[in-house]
Amino acid sequence: MAVASSKNIRRSWGRIIPYLLILPVILYYAAFWLRPVITAVIGSFTNASGHFTLQNFAMVINDENFIPAVRNTAVIVFFSVTLEFLGALFLALLINRKFAGSGFFLFFAMIPMALPAAAAGAMWLTGLTAHGWINSLLYYLGILAEGEKVYWLAGSELSLLALVIFIDAWQVIPSVMIILLAGLQNIPKETQEAGYVFGGNYLTVLRKITLPLLSPTIQTAMILRLISAIQIWLIIVLLLGYSRMPVLLERVVYYQKEVKGLDISYQMATTYTIIVAAIVSLAALVYLQISGAFKRGKKEVI
Amino acid sequence: MKKKRWININKAAKMTSFYIFVTGIMIAMLIPIFFIVSLSFLSTREAYRFPLPLLPALTTKFELTHGERGYLISVYDRVENEYMSVLDTQDLEKISQYTRYQLGTPMTIEEIEQEIVKLETQEIVYFTHRRNLLFNYETFFRVAGTGQAIPALIRSLQICALTIVISLSIGGMAGYAFARYSFKGHDTLKFGVLFVRMFPGVAIALPMVIILANYGFFDKPIGLSLVYSIGSIALTVWITASIFMGIPVSLEEAAQVFGSTKTHAFLRITLPLAFPGLAAAAMFTFLGAWNETILAIILTQFNPTFSVVVFQTVLGSVGQVNLAAAGGMVMALPAVVFTFFIRRYINQMWGGVTV
Repeated sequence: MAVASSKNIRRSWGRIIPYLLILPVILYYAAFWLRPVITAVIGSFTNASGHFTLQNFAMVINDENFIPAVRNTAVIVFFSVTLEFLGALFLALLINRKFAGSGFFLFFAMIPMALPAAAAGAMWLTGLTAHGWINSLLYYLGILAEGEKVYWLAGSELSLLALVIFIDAWQVIPSVMIILLAGLQNIPKETQEAGYVFGGNYLTVLRKITLPLLSPTIQTAMILRLISAIQIWLIIVLLLGYSRMPVLLERVVYYQKEVKGLDISYQMATTYTIIVAAIVSLAALVYLQISGAFKRGKKEVI
Repeated sequence: MKKKRWININKAAKMTSFYIFVTGIMIAMLIPIFFIVSLSFLSTREAYRFPLPLLPALTTKFELTHGERGYLISVYDRVENEYMSVLDTQDLEKISQYTRYQLGTPMTIEEIEQEIVKLETQEIVYFTHRRNLLFNYETFFRVAGTGQAIPALIRSLQICALTIVISLSIGGMAGYAFARYSFKGHDTLKFGVLFVRMFPGVAIALPMVIILANYGFFDKPIGLSLVYSIGSIALTVWITASIFMGIPVSLEEAAQVFGSTKTHAFLRITLPLAFPGLAAAAMFTFLGAWNETILAIILTQFNPTFSVVVFQTVLGSVGQVNLAAAGGMVMALPAVVFTFFIRRYINQMWGGVTV
């Protein structure tokens, strides 16, 4: 009797162990993540005196910079993700083989991604000034004549957007390429060979076999890119300052840090925050859906 | 025979063009980095020349004659390929200051006097002096953030260390549970953790100001590391789970057969095997905490982190591009070094693809 109950205790103990091991994470997230998230959500729906209101959202939508911020963010996200996908896929398909020095190459490909935002900002800011290194490089290459200079940061809004997209692409294409390369190398060679045996040319095999097999990797890479592209702001502020080219996240920092004194700053910042968080969460949920998080019985995605 | 040679040539041509292509991509990736590294070593005077010199000079060449107001100092300009006069003064202190701050070539007043003495016998004195290549870096640490750079660096390292301790201990345990046990809610919890990581950190920044202030942690290293741990715990869970899954349970069981306890088997067998992966998780955590800027801007006031100091230097750098470059380099160096060590794990950053 006593033996049986101790066995029972041990068995139920064994069932509890994993939960005990995970408990610290849950408690931590409850205290330092869930609580501020709820506070932020409540904050975006209450006014300064603590009553429920939708006023904050109306205020944000009527903010003269809201529409430009949404538009700029959308343009940046759309074009940078597309450009990065096409560029990275092109490079990955060309490089998809083991070659001497490939490890070396992949390490260098990671450097742009590893650069801290502040360092990357320093790099592009010193490059884009009129006497910066980009103009110098063009001069050395003979593209710019003597005395000629391109004023990169004084261009039209459209050219500035293109610039931001280009900078983001430079920083991100190598890392997306690495993800796609890893995916390509996981595709069994036989599948593609079979395609050639049945008379397919390179493009047919690519379209009918390689890309469909690669699509989980592509979806993963693209959604992760989408999530971080929505959150671009620092490079823009470093290059152009606040308010010149508003994007959603830049507005959050602007209201939090730059116009702190105002009554409405907190409401504005929280509401912008909630809007960004909602969009990103949506993308994250799509990602989880694709990686099979919601499929029952599927044990492991790794 | 002939055909075989043709194939060989064809193959060689293909290989060559492939390597040219790969080299081309590498150059495109590295050119901006090359320029900022080079810029971070240029003297203030040269940093504003156009076109920028490609490489920093190791020495500065001077030309010294009598000028209208005193000694006329000219400096060899690598852009114009000629000496250009920069100073005409009798004040040796001023000359010393100019060579130090504008040319990155520290010369004491005695050294300047030694050259001036030669003017008694010669009409023009030419001399070269060694440059202090690290001058921008020294200046950055002295002046950036009004002397906050070194305390900020120490604070950033404290934050990184605290974040690593918190996330490895809490996340590592959970990672082990996810790898070794199957239980109800396994997948939901694991993906829930991933969702937390994807949730934008800035969304909790504003309420966090108040929460941290309540604990007395606002504007302190521990406060920021508590916030950074949110993301890095999730990352650690996923990395450690995949590592522990890669270590066969049978090893632990074998140890238990030979009379060791479960804890003992874990400590003596699994943990040492998992060490490289745990180190990678620690480095990821370091990178995240070291690079982070936006939360650091919001959650600090008088005690900025190093990334904030660099951010501010860059933002206000219209007058000092070479200082901004030096700050950026100090910021980038640990990031690049750690990336080198964790390159094999890079694809696990988001829990998705395996390499």
